[in-house]
Amino acid sequence: MSKKTNQLLAFNLFRLVSFMVVASLFLILGFIIINGISVINWDFLTKAPSNNGTEGGIMPAIVGTLLLVLGSIIFAFPIGVLSGIYINEYLKENWFKKIVRSMTNNLSGVPSIVFGLFGMALFVHTLNFGDSLIAGSLTLGLMVLPIIIRTTEEALKSVDDSLRQGSYALGATKLQTIRKVVLPVCYPNIVTGLILSVSRVSGETAPILFTCAASFLPRLPHSIFDQVMALPYHLYVLIVSGTDLEKARPMAYGTAFVLIALVLFVNLFANAVRNYFIKKSK
Amino acid sequence: MKFRKAIEKFSESILFASSTVTTIAVLFIVFFLFKSGMGLFSASPLEDGYALAVNASNPVKQLTSRQIKDIFNGDVTNWKEVGGSDDAIQLFTIDELSSNYTEEQLGASLEHIPACVNDYVSKNKGVFAFFEKRFLDKSFSGRMVKVPNITLAEFLNGREWYPTATPVAQFGVLPLILGTLWVTFLAILIAIPVGLITAIYLAEIAGDRMRRFLKPVIELLAGIPSIVYGFFGLVVIVPFLQQLFNLPVGETALAGSLVLAIMALPTIITIAEDAIRSAPVSLKEASLALGASHWQSLSRVVIPYAKSGILAAFILGIGRAIGETMAVLLVTGNAATMPSSVLEPVRTIPATIAGELGEAPFGGTHFKALFALGIILFIITFVFNTLVEVIKSKKSS
Amino acid sequence: MKKSVVTLFLAISLLIPVVTNAQKVVCKIKGSDTCLPLSQRFAEIYNKNNAGSGISVVGGGSGVGIAALLSGTTDIAQSSRKMKMDEKLKLQEGGKSVKEVIIAYDALAIIVHPSNPVSQLTREQLEGIFTGKLTNWKDVGGPDLKIIVYSRETSSGTYDFIKEHVMNKKNFTASALMMAATGAVVQSVSQTKGAIGYVGLAYVEKEVKALKVSYDKGKTYVAPNVSTAMSRKYPVTRPLYYYFTNTVEAKVKPLVSFILSKDGQNIVLAEGFVPLS
Repeated sequence: MSKKTNQLLAFNLFRLVSFMVVASLFLILGFIIINGISVINWDFLTKAPSNNGTEGGIMPAIVGTLLLVLGSIIFAFPIGVLSGIYINEYLKENWFKKIVRSMTNNLSGVPSIVFGLFGMALFVHTLNFGDSLIAGSLTLGLMVLPIIIRTTEEALKSVDDSLRQGSYALGATKLQTIRKVVLPVCYPNIVTGLILSVSRVSGETAPILFTCAASFLPRLPHSIFDQVMALPYHLYVLIVSGTDLEKARPMAYGTAFVLIALVLFVNLFANAVRNYFIKKSK
Repeated sequence: MKFRKAIEKFSESILFASSTVTTIAVLFIVFFLFKSGMGLFSASPLEDGYALAVNASNPVKQLTSRQIKDIFNGDVTNWKEVGGSDDAIQLFTIDELSSNYTEEQLGASLEHIPACVNDYVSKNKGVFAFFEKRFLDKSFSGRMVKVPNITLAEFLNGREWYPTATPVAQFGVLPLILGTLWVTFLAILIAIPVGLITAIYLAEIAGDRMRRFLKPVIELLAGIPSIVYGFFGLVVIVPFLQQLFNLPVGETALAGSLVLAIMALPTIITIAEDAIRSAPVSLKEASLALGASHWQSLSRVVIPYAKSGILAAFILGIGRAIGETMAVLLVTGNAATMPSSVLEPVRTIPATIAGELGEAPFGGTHFKALFALGIILFIITFVFNTLVEVIKSKKSS
Repeated sequence: MKKSVVTLFLAISLLIPVVTNAQKVVCKIKGSDTCLPLSQRFAEIYNKNNAGSGISVVGGGSGVGIAALLSGTTDIAQSSRKMKMDEKLKLQEGGKSVKEVIIAYDALAIIVHPSNPVSQLTREQLEGIFTGKLTNWKDVGGPDLKIIVYSRETSSGTYDFIKEHVMNKKNFTASALMMAATGAVVQSVSQTKGAIGYVGLAYVEKEVKALKVSYDKGKTYVAPNVSTAMSRKYPVTRPLYYYFTNTVEAKVKPLVSFILSKDGQNIVLAEGFVPLS
């Protein structure tokens, strides 16, 4: 076969495969959206579930997920950004930096169920927080910490050194340079990392299975030591339990719809933010 | 001036403290996992508060948990099969009391049960008794069977995972490890070619507009929560496979692999694409200048150059697939058997932990076993992560 | 005379607020998947009728509930199996005593795919199927089809009950598919021709078929429904329990009284379970 035919064959095959990948995404999304959209209405979003989740809405799960996101970000964002700053700006290329980098990478590769195991052993039992919002938030926070650190590091790395040198030349201290010169340039990327963490936290089930999730709560959590309902856990409960699976199924689709909508919206928002700042810097 | 310096120093120490958090976290995780998990090997598989006894004249002094299970199941029926004399084994539990003793003998408020148990054990040479310790008579005439603690070899090579078996729990993780490996391996087999092809397409072949459209779409795939994938898998993929292959049951390793493959794709695609993109343009141009076609330049020059980055992509994809819990839990059927084909149900390590952790009493033997499983999972992902780092550092040197 | 009238009047007036006030209960219930719909319904109605109440419910399996009771992270453990000796001992070691209340009864239905021609089995056949000794439906008078056993996870009280009473303490076959919750068992059995599973009566829907069971080697077969369960003619009937420690007894007493009352037992019936009398 001639060079040209070979190439044509290969390229078209590749195009086909790539489109199949994209098609599978649309298949999954379509499946949820088509089945779920008929369930979505104001009641669904604002009422609590009743009659074993077959009636009512999923409001406590939505609120629970938002609380978990808030809790985990409160914990992970400051520590993550500060870590990223320290690692990139202060540490010299020595063994300590290598270890810290390696540890961060390892933490990011740990499966979510192991986080759940750890969170349960440490926060629920040893520290005696019990099944609580704070146990869940800390566990989820640990899970997304590496994401924030890595994006902060990458953002700081991409800042041209000449910027820093210029600032020092003008007599600024290291801290002032970081605060007023380097960081502002990095805001968009750091924010992107934050938003990606939000989407990750919203969707995870395994870490909250044993640290805070409940199937049915009478009222919204009053304190950080209360249990919470959460969208992914509620979806799991609707899929596998309940006496009337047929009636619960539409609610499951609706929950999946809200969960996907939340995650997708957050991801698209992060992309838009990133693109906006890229355009701005040009 | 001094004040400012103090603030600088103070801020630096706060920053330093923050950077140690991840290291501390990893160390803590390792500590907790190992503390609980290794405790398994100093624990007995026999339920707390229960006793296993034989007649005093029985030469058998100790039995492995496997043997005890086989005796109890009725697979082993003679003492000589486990190193004793040629006597038929007679199983005895508290339930058998009422068919061997009258109500009078047992006592009005069942206070004579220990005496009756003692009586039965001493009268039957081939007896194998399993009962609660509170029914142990003070002058018990039988002898307790020693059940050795769980050994590492038993744990890793045992073919049965049955933490709540009567009378002794079976903690063999081989079916779980194999189940995890089968599902992951097949998923990677599917995801690597598809991922690489898509990455090449995105990096080199697709036009600019197409790339701007496809990249965020693929990143969106990465954002879909695993429980949603599990839902999709359960309602669409499982019945589909059942019909397609005419299987008795659709929950199989293959179903798990398909779902995992889709989940691992975005990781593989984005990292491989970055690696291919990073190949210097001059390389490709030189190849084209020498008369090679675009495709030839790609396949023989650019991609080999990006080899290590692509390898890193594959390994990270595998790492993501191994640890996946919710999606796999819903579609693989969770049967703890030794897998013999991909069209059979399997049970993976993450699904086992997720399914059983809630019921294991904190600090009990089952609990420790689950942590031991967690250790295995952690070690596997740790190895994969280190591999990636080694590859990355080799590349830069 | 006056003094005693006044005392009586005072006594009565003190009692009235106790008797007519809504009894608010704030507690956590955790455990049995079988009891879950029932407890959720109790919680929903009790919360609604007694302002200030906050009863939360979590599933996971009877084992999950009892483990939580032992570690003190739940007030009530809902369970579809009796608490084991070593579990009670562990609580006693902690200085607490456990209270057991039967809230309802449940008929355990053995379900198969609707197209399966087999409609009754003896206990011995069920034991053979669940332990893996019988592997094909033709062994029990059905079609030549592989038997697929769907079971609950080991945390399930239902699982434990089947093992204890239907299988005579024998162990399940390793090839049984373990599903996370009862709903999943129903779903899978309804779409797998050779499937067999076990679920509480409340979970039986038209997508699956419940078998008649015989405990006297085939002389009489009984189908599971509320009346055969109440008369105990259906042999696979079990109590559903609430376990709690003496330390929370006072806190949960109003809820327990409600459940044991006529209104509570009407809810039991409405949800597909078997009332106490």
